[in-house]
Amino acid sequence: MNGCILILVALGLSIVFGLMGIINFAHGIFYMLGAYAGWLTVQLTGSFWLALLTAPVAVGLVGVLVERGVLRRIYGTRNANFAGVLVTYGLAIMIPDLVRMTFGRPGKPFAVPESLTGSLFRLGAIDVHGYRMFILLVTALLLPSLWLLLNRTNLGLVIRAGTSDNLMVQLLGINVARTWTITYALGAALAALAGVITAPLVAVAPEMGGLVLIECFIVTVVGGMGSFLGAVAGGLIIGEALALTGMLYDVLADVVIYLAMALVLLLRPRGLFGQEGMSEE
Amino acid sequence: MRGLVAAALLLATAPLYADYTPFYLGLLAEVLVFGLFALAYDVLLGHAGVLSLGHSAFLGVAAYATGLLLARWRAPLEVSVLAGAAAGLLTSLVLGLLVLRKRGVYLAMLTLALSQVFYYGVLMWTPVTGGTDGLGNLPVLYLSEPLGWRLSKRPVTRYYVLAAVVFGAMLAIRHLLASPLGRVMRAVKANETRAAACGYDTGRVKLVAFAISGCFSGLAGALLTVALEFVPIENIHWSMSGSVLIMTLFGGTGTLLGPFVGAGVFIWMRDFLSKHLEYWEVFVGGAFVLIVLFLPDGIVGSLTRWIGRRRPAPASALGAPPPAPGRPAPPGPAPAGPDGRLLESRGLTRTFGGLTAVNGVDFVVRAGELRAVIGPNGAGKTTFFNLLTGALPPTGGRIVFKGRDITNLPAHAVSRLGLARSYQVTNIFGDLSVFENLCVAAQSRVTHYRPWGRADRLADVNRRAEEILGLLGLGAKRHARGAELSHGEQRYLEIGIALATDPDFLLLDEPTAGMSPEETRRTAAFVRELAGRVTIVLVEHDMEVVMGISDRITVLNYGQVLAEGTPAEIRDNADVRRVYLRD
Repeated sequence: MNGCILILVALGLSIVFGLMGIINFAHGIFYMLGAYAGWLTVQLTGSFWLALLTAPVAVGLVGVLVERGVLRRIYGTRNANFAGVLVTYGLAIMIPDLVRMTFGRPGKPFAVPESLTGSLFRLGAIDVHGYRMFILLVTALLLPSLWLLLNRTNLGLVIRAGTSDNLMVQLLGINVARTWTITYALGAALAALAGVITAPLVAVAPEMGGLVLIECFIVTVVGGMGSFLGAVAGGLIIGEALALTGMLYDVLADVVIYLAMALVLLLRPRGLFGQEGMSEE
Repeated sequence: MRGLVAAALLLATAPLYADYTPFYLGLLAEVLVFGLFALAYDVLLGHAGVLSLGHSAFLGVAAYATGLLLARWRAPLEVSVLAGAAAGLLTSLVLGLLVLRKRGVYLAMLTLALSQVFYYGVLMWTPVTGGTDGLGNLPVLYLSEPLGWRLSKRPVTRYYVLAAVVFGAMLAIRHLLASPLGRVMRAVKANETRAAACGYDTGRVKLVAFAISGCFSGLAGALLTVALEFVPIENIHWSMSGSVLIMTLFGGTGTLLGPFVGAGVFIWMRDFLSKHLEYWEVFVGGAFVLIVLFLPDGIVGSLTRWIGRRRPAPASALGAPPPAPGRPAPPGPAPAGPDGRLLESRGLTRTFGGLTAVNGVDFVVRAGELRAVIGPNGAGKTTFFNLLTGALPPTGGRIVFKGRDITNLPAHAVSRLGLARSYQVTNIFGDLSVFENLCVAAQSRVTHYRPWGRADRLADVNRRAEEILGLLGLGAKRHARGAELSHGEQRYLEIGIALATDPDFLLLDEPTAGMSPEETRRTAAFVRELAGRVTIVLVEHDMEVVMGISDRITVLNYGQVLAEGTPAEIRDNADVRRVYLRD
């Protein structure tokens, strides 16, 4: 299940990097904000299903604000890629404290929706929980639709073309600025959705963004930055590695994924599915 | 120099202003130590152009190393502090070797991820490190005999010892940055490809910068342990890397003073804002975003520029050393292979996927020749140059230069053998001054990475750069940044950088690209003049230039040699006419 969440968050990170060349350090924030938006929705309306809708939409709008208000100022400046890391890093420091200011320091409990509680069936010695199946289902539905969006629609074509040569796409008369905003918001919404569906499994807390961000970095290094398949494969590998070592030898769980990353870096620096050149800058 | 004396005086008298209050003295010491950390960080960011988000590992590992030595093994203070610096150095070498396989923002991401390993290491090792509680119970700190000072009993003594060590480290870093090594680091930051083409192993330079940065970060970590008498786990958490980045950018990168000012501002925010505001990180983060967006030079950098603008600009020609008279002495005859063959390729081939850009090219240039390589667009001329200079590894074939096989040598090694090139698309050190552009290139013939002595006092290098400057007619622009030159001037500088490495063999890739007719004429005459002193191969589209100045011409088409001969032979060659005139 861990893997599913990682895939969703890492995909947004990877798509944004592919198009804009910016490693979005604020990505974990969107995940955390998604969880809070979901929590708020449940508090106000009592409906978990509505939260699945409101969180991505609300956080997507935050993404639009960040892209229009902050990132837009640095495109085309000297060292724009560095500046992109720096400003999103600043946001990653600032926003958790804003959330603490608004919602308080302690985490918020988030109950599993009633219809999904309890065990569905037993698989050998393991209980398969309804909620975990739900996460799997959401991911399984979302991934193909995303793939279709990126590979079979006009928007997807522009995103992929912009990834390989941004200037040329602009010269063809396509509004790249709008595509960037949409892409950034899409990444934010994906992270937010992942945030909502994780929320019942962990406590909703301002710090949850930082951890998932680093895990997603590892996922994209292992899978290959900017690659759809890479994010999926990397997410599965890292998710399973975390789950397995967590079960077998808890203390090592956090370290094993770093070793996996170091290994990939040494043997195949561009990642399992990364394209040559893409990983360089 | 005056700045240094002022800084030393300020450090020496600071306890007076701080009223000898232990609290303020402690705070002051902390500012100094964090300032050193930020300065060490800036060696990498501001001078070598590498953005790291993993410096918490260097500071943290060193802090724990020092703390453990003091607490568990009761080691003397000096030994513990030195061990801390060594631990920082070692950590940075391991991390650097891994992350330097990548560049730019990707590298930044890797440093962040890898530095977390050390944080988890501390957590896993809780019985020894104290885990989240931090490492306490450090014994009363002594300097070992003969001084025998008891540091923690007297805050003033401790302040002075810390201030002295920080000041010394600052001097050492200042010295390193002014050395030939420091110059090469700035060249790598400004333009890594060109630095490699000038004969510098840029991977190694970045690793050395990483190690220097890690070593001084380690020293800062060790001093922090001494200052706090405690190792908080925050030292090794990734947020510490963020803090040092913020300090450095607050103050301004690329300056000596900036990191200390930034550390002061940061610690003021932390201590005084957090006293009144529970959520001070909002302001730190917000201020950081604003600085990145609107004040990219930081506080010190912006102030310096502002003061510089208010003062009348110094007349650039004054104060500069007088230009050296005369022309560069012709180099001795280049040691060539058998029967005067200087460069030779056999069956040279390069494929990109399904495309064969260079296909079995046999090519011989004799010493003293001026050879032109022509061919329609896409004939593989630039790829051919990239193969000869080691910028690209060939798929097949051999290259022999001065009787030596250089087929798989990297670009910097090829350059050191005396094979220089200019680029079709201008590829200069845009952020460095014109004079410094030439010095970087000229220095590769004298020393590569010497970490001592002052780079700007290398007499041979200055003389050589001065000669080239005169030759190019760019004397009036010596202080201008490369990026500020006009297109034509940049094209001259492009050739000048290649010349400054004092090559025996010069590859010029379309030297007249984008030039006006007048500039083209001047450049052609210039190349012809150079040909007396150095063997030249040039790629050129301007047929008038090609026919007018070359001894022999090689025609490439679809990656293969179509014809070779004197200008007259080429003009009359039926194959060449067909390719060019399509008749």
